[in-house]
Amino acid sequence: MKNLKFLLIIFLSFGLVNCESELDIEPAQSVSIGAALGTADGVKKVLIGTYAEAGQSSTFGGYSHIMSELIGNDDEVSWEGTFLAPREMFTKSMLSDNGLVGGHWNNSYEVINQANLVLDNSSNISDATERATVEGEALFLRALTYFDLVKFFGGVPLRTAGVTNYGADLDIARSTADEIYAQVISDLTDAYAKLPTSNGEFADRYAAQALLARVYLQQGNFASALAAANDVLQNSGHSLASSFAGAFNNDSDGPEDIFAFQVTSQDGSNVLISHYADQPYGGRGGDIVVDTYRTLFDSTSDVRLGFFYYSGFNGGILTRKYTNEYGNVPTIRVAEMHLIRAEANFRLGSSTGLAPLTEINALRGRSGAPALSSLSLDLIFNERQLELGFEGHILHDKKRFGKSIAGLPANSSRLVCPIPQSEMDSNSLMTQNPGY
Amino acid sequence: MMSFLAISVALGQQTITGSVSDEDGAPLPGASIVEVGTNNGVVADFDGNFSITVGDDASLSVSFLGYLTQVVAVGNNTSIDVVLSEGGQLDEVVVTGYGSESRRLLTDNIASLDSEDISEIPTPNVFNTFAGKVAGVQVTQTNGKVESGFNFRIRGQASISASSQPLYVLDGIPLITYNESSNGAPTNPLITLSPNEIESIDILKDASAASIYGSQGANGVVIITTKKGKAGKAKFNLNVSRGVSNPSAYRDWMNAAEYVEIFLEAGRNTFNAGLDFTGFVEARLDRYSNGTWQQGTYDTDWEKIALVEGSVQDADFSVSGGSDNTNYFFSVAYNETEGIVLGNSLDKISARANISTAVTDKLTLNFNLGYGRTDIDRIANDNAFVTPLQAIAQSPISPAYVDGEPFTNTVYVNFLLEDKYANYNTIIRRNTGKVSADLDLFSGLTFTSEFAYDLYGQSEDQFRGSLIPFMSTNGSGYASNATTENYIVTNYLNYEFVNDYSTLDVTVGSSLNKSKRRFSSVSGEQFPSDDFQTIASAAEITAGSGSFTSFSFVGYFARATYNINDKYLFKAGIRRDGSSRFGENVQFGNFPSFSAGWILSNEDFIGDNIFSFLKLRGSWGEVGNAAIGNFAALGLFGATSFNQRPGLQPTQPSNQDLSWETTTQTDVSVQFGLFDDRVTGELTYYNKDTDDLLFGEPIPGSSGFTSLTKNIGAVKNTGVEFLLNTVNIRNNDFTWSTSLNLATNENEVVTLPNGEDAISGRNILREGEPISAFYLVEYAGVNPDNGNALFYDADGVATESYSADFRKVVGNPFPNFIGGLTNYVSYKDFELSFTFSAEFGASIYNAGGRFQSTAGDWFDNQTRDQLRRWRQPGDITDVPAAALVGSNGTQHSTRYLQDGDFIRLKDLNLSYTIPQDMISSVGLEKARIYLSGINLLTITDYDGYDPESRADTFGGGQTFYSAPAPRTVSLGVNLTF
Repeated sequence: MKNLKFLLIIFLSFGLVNCESELDIEPAQSVSIGAALGTADGVKKVLIGTYAEAGQSSTFGGYSHIMSELIGNDDEVSWEGTFLAPREMFTKSMLSDNGLVGGHWNNSYEVINQANLVLDNSSNISDATERATVEGEALFLRALTYFDLVKFFGGVPLRTAGVTNYGADLDIARSTADEIYAQVISDLTDAYAKLPTSNGEFADRYAAQALLARVYLQQGNFASALAAANDVLQNSGHSLASSFAGAFNNDSDGPEDIFAFQVTSQDGSNVLISHYADQPYGGRGGDIVVDTYRTLFDSTSDVRLGFFYYSGFNGGILTRKYTNEYGNVPTIRVAEMHLIRAEANFRLGSSTGLAPLTEINALRGRSGAPALSSLSLDLIFNERQLELGFEGHILHDKKRFGKSIAGLPANSSRLVCPIPQSEMDSNSLMTQNPGY
Repeated sequence: MMSFLAISVALGQQTITGSVSDEDGAPLPGASIVEVGTNNGVVADFDGNFSITVGDDASLSVSFLGYLTQVVAVGNNTSIDVVLSEGGQLDEVVVTGYGSESRRLLTDNIASLDSEDISEIPTPNVFNTFAGKVAGVQVTQTNGKVESGFNFRIRGQASISASSQPLYVLDGIPLITYNESSNGAPTNPLITLSPNEIESIDILKDASAASIYGSQGANGVVIITTKKGKAGKAKFNLNVSRGVSNPSAYRDWMNAAEYVEIFLEAGRNTFNAGLDFTGFVEARLDRYSNGTWQQGTYDTDWEKIALVEGSVQDADFSVSGGSDNTNYFFSVAYNETEGIVLGNSLDKISARANISTAVTDKLTLNFNLGYGRTDIDRIANDNAFVTPLQAIAQSPISPAYVDGEPFTNTVYVNFLLEDKYANYNTIIRRNTGKVSADLDLFSGLTFTSEFAYDLYGQSEDQFRGSLIPFMSTNGSGYASNATTENYIVTNYLNYEFVNDYSTLDVTVGSSLNKSKRRFSSVSGEQFPSDDFQTIASAAEITAGSGSFTSFSFVGYFARATYNINDKYLFKAGIRRDGSSRFGENVQFGNFPSFSAGWILSNEDFIGDNIFSFLKLRGSWGEVGNAAIGNFAALGLFGATSFNQRPGLQPTQPSNQDLSWETTTQTDVSVQFGLFDDRVTGELTYYNKDTDDLLFGEPIPGSSGFTSLTKNIGAVKNTGVEFLLNTVNIRNNDFTWSTSLNLATNENEVVTLPNGEDAISGRNILREGEPISAFYLVEYAGVNPDNGNALFYDADGVATESYSADFRKVVGNPFPNFIGGLTNYVSYKDFELSFTFSAEFGASIYNAGGRFQSTAGDWFDNQTRDQLRRWRQPGDITDVPAAALVGSNGTQHSTRYLQDGDFIRLKDLNLSYTIPQDMISSVGLEKARIYLSGINLLTITDYDGYDPESRADTFGGGQTFYSAPAPRTVSLGVNLTF
């Protein structure tokens, strides 16, 4: 009898253990792909995630600007930091396993993939205006990313559909630079049509138009650049900040910001602080130090000449453009539009919106610099350097003006980034850039 | 398992009574007394007493597991007291999963260590005591930090992305082994274990032994059994020791004069045209030396600031004893270790209570409870600028302190600022408990039910004060807490059937393991002063996180062993395991195993010869490795934010077929005993095939992800193990015995998807090569004409250019031959034992070499061997010309790859036992003084710090400013009363 009682206990115990339902466990910090992309709300949240991805330090959270400044500068600046990857860029001797190059490439394609997923699933948004806005923003981010890729690497793989099945063959060949530019222009033109005139801190119609102006300028299509820049200056409602300093280190967008990546103490990245700022501002003490850049100025009344300070860490001269650890990363601002319109007008011999000399002098006037008496392409190039220094334009400007960099001709293969070794190793259709 | 034989035959009888005890006089309850040649047998009771009715001319065979069987003729005696002596190596009890077996009859490959092998060694990590003692098992602590994680490899590395740590089982409880460190360098989750609570360690090496643990047994299983009380008077043991530690090696660095010489030369030589580097160098030297380099004021030995003298203190106490139906074991242990790296120390306390009581004559209840708390003062990981070991990169012309404060114009951030103004403290608390019941149902059938609980908590607190480098926020603080709970419910039946020629043993059961982990953390900034270090005082909370995860395993197992006449042994087992981790298509798996043995020495046809024992044994089985993430098969989106608005982003590509890795292992061995088992040994051949390797296959980044986890590829480990135990001399005053173990391991990647190489950093996965083989450009020395570094191109021709296309497979990060030799000598009251451990065949890549040994590429202090640099045309040397920022030979290449072969005197213990007559007056039963040491001597050609140290933030067999292991010598006293 006692044995029977014990036997019953045993079978009950076995029964308790026969719990295969114990194997159904849902993750607490994630959701499935279907849940994320299958609803209107989900798609909108994935769009916000795409902004977050693009704002990471590898790309628009700072390294996009820094890569251009390091590769594109001669002795205007000096790299004092200890990291090897940026030093390779400054000495124009990048290796294919350069960490910044790989980071830029991989992050860019993460952004592109997420933008593509949003576009593929935007039909889940039933409201037509909302859907158009979401598509417009995704197109803007995709174009912004492809534009940077083509400027740094040349032709790159062109993906316009999101990947969800990673079991398929993922090898893809490079498209040509022209094909990438064509996609960028098509995306931005499409975005311009879909986006509203203002959209809070997110991309709006004039952000797309401003970026288009920049793209056309880089291509040498001055007429289209002029039209786009003029549209932004006339209709966007943005204007120059009242002081030069007011354009930088903002916690939220100011009147001059056409588009900026948002950084807060909780999220977003601003790696420009790390490399440009002194330690009390949260930087590393001045990895990028100003050298002969200050000799480009022609007047001591120009506040831009004084917009520097000495590093307490290494005694170098540092720019004041990046001193707010949690400040936004300005991506496109009004000053650049003035410079584009003025240059395009000058080259075309036109005066759309404003005569070029007047426009340049108005911009200089904002910073207390004296008016110029006449213009030349060299003066325009110089003014771009004075206004937009350290903002990631120099490499692309020098290439488009045909200027040599550290003794290398503007079309040198050393001024083009290598395709990352990780992509070469895993993508059998990829071909390397010359010289690597 | 004990056999509960029942009844006797009654003819021409006499009744014999008696007792069975061991050499200490303690009774052996459950000893078996059998009338030879019959089925007539009884079992000794709790006092060791027995009563048996036998026929004429009877002999009694008295046996107990772990002891030498004795046969006693009854003769005219009516009362017989039998004393059994402990068996030799072949009679020891080996713990298998859910059971135990005598080594003589074992058909699986299981290695064992006992309490004496692991005690009295001055280290806080009990696993360091295993090194060199088990054939085929490589145990290495990652580096010389006190809390450092460690690697435990049984028969080679059998996985690429899943864990290669074995399953650790403590008294039947699979232990939580998450690494909860928040700074990138792993902590050791098992550091709370203390040797004084451990009775034995059994390592299940082959698949047949491990398959009862199913999908978790692929890397082998380490079964830790804690001590139990024995019936008898209470026995007390006290052990106290204190020791001094020093780094086991230093390196040769340049002094101030040499540093200045090299950098001035490097500046003059530099290849970048058009820039005045000499002026630049002098300006830098001024900055780093506070303007004093020309006077030679400072010649700082930074290495001796970072590597310091440490200490180890141990104190432990235990009580064990028992009565008729209850026995108990209590212990407390304390260890305080000061590390050999500045700022690194720990103290730990552990306690245990194990109680077992026979509630009725059929039901025994057991209660095991262990508690451990380890408090660690930590330092940064090897890759952080503020880790003390990176101080060797500082220039010798820099002072360490100026006016009492750490000097701030050093080449790199001065870690002394972090040491002075920051704290990093980790506390690990662990509770393991088990309640179980053993019930005798009816003859031969036992039921065991166990409920076990493992609670692991790790809290980390960091505070970085306002004067820390890069600090812009008036101090920053971080606090985190991770708590994991593991519940295990196991029920099994064991049935033993005995007849006069065979024994059948069957075990059937099921097990449920549920684990839940909760994590939370918070960061704050803006503290009023450095006196306020807790987050409550932060004016701004800048980050916080909380997460939750869990997993479960459900398993059913069955095992049968069949022993015919102690000559033919068979075993078969199977486990069916399912887990929440596996993809829905493949949620359950079956893991079968078979093994067999033939004891030739018991065969009549063998006859008398030199073999006192000869056995052939073979096994085959399948086991799994389920150490993949908890949700690795699912396609997932996670939360993110932009401007503090919530967003979603893809975090994981999906793979519905993702499941465990399967290891199929075949093991064949010969076990022998010679000269009456005075020499025993084993020669084994094993072959381990691991399929369905979990692998983050690199995919083109242009797809949006850079890797996808798949079950792809296969890896193979084969090898031979040899074990030899000899008792060289044994007489009254002097004994000397030796144990030698040797093991080879050949590791090969067999298949990769599409046969394509997968390259990651310095390592490659390529078919036909070892896992993570080093894939580097070969360095070809220096061009005597101009001092430029040379590399071998793809065709093997030396050239000045460098390209990733020149890379070749150049080395193996794992050794292919390991061994150990232990000697034990005793002369009268003195005892000496020491263990050598050796590894051959591994290479080590010094990732820090590109900063440390570059003849002056950047202002890091250089190793003194760089003084051999090329200086003028015609110089033949292996160090290229000094060239500031010249990247002259500083690319990744075999220039920084070395052989890591070594032989190390791993531990040594010399003791003197005070003669009995001197101590018995004070009530002591035994008193011993001992001198003990660890890592005492290292013989190696490797010129880095330590051929066993590796970087703690990235793998692939690389070292990066990794601290050497400590060499510790301690003095101790061990008292029993």
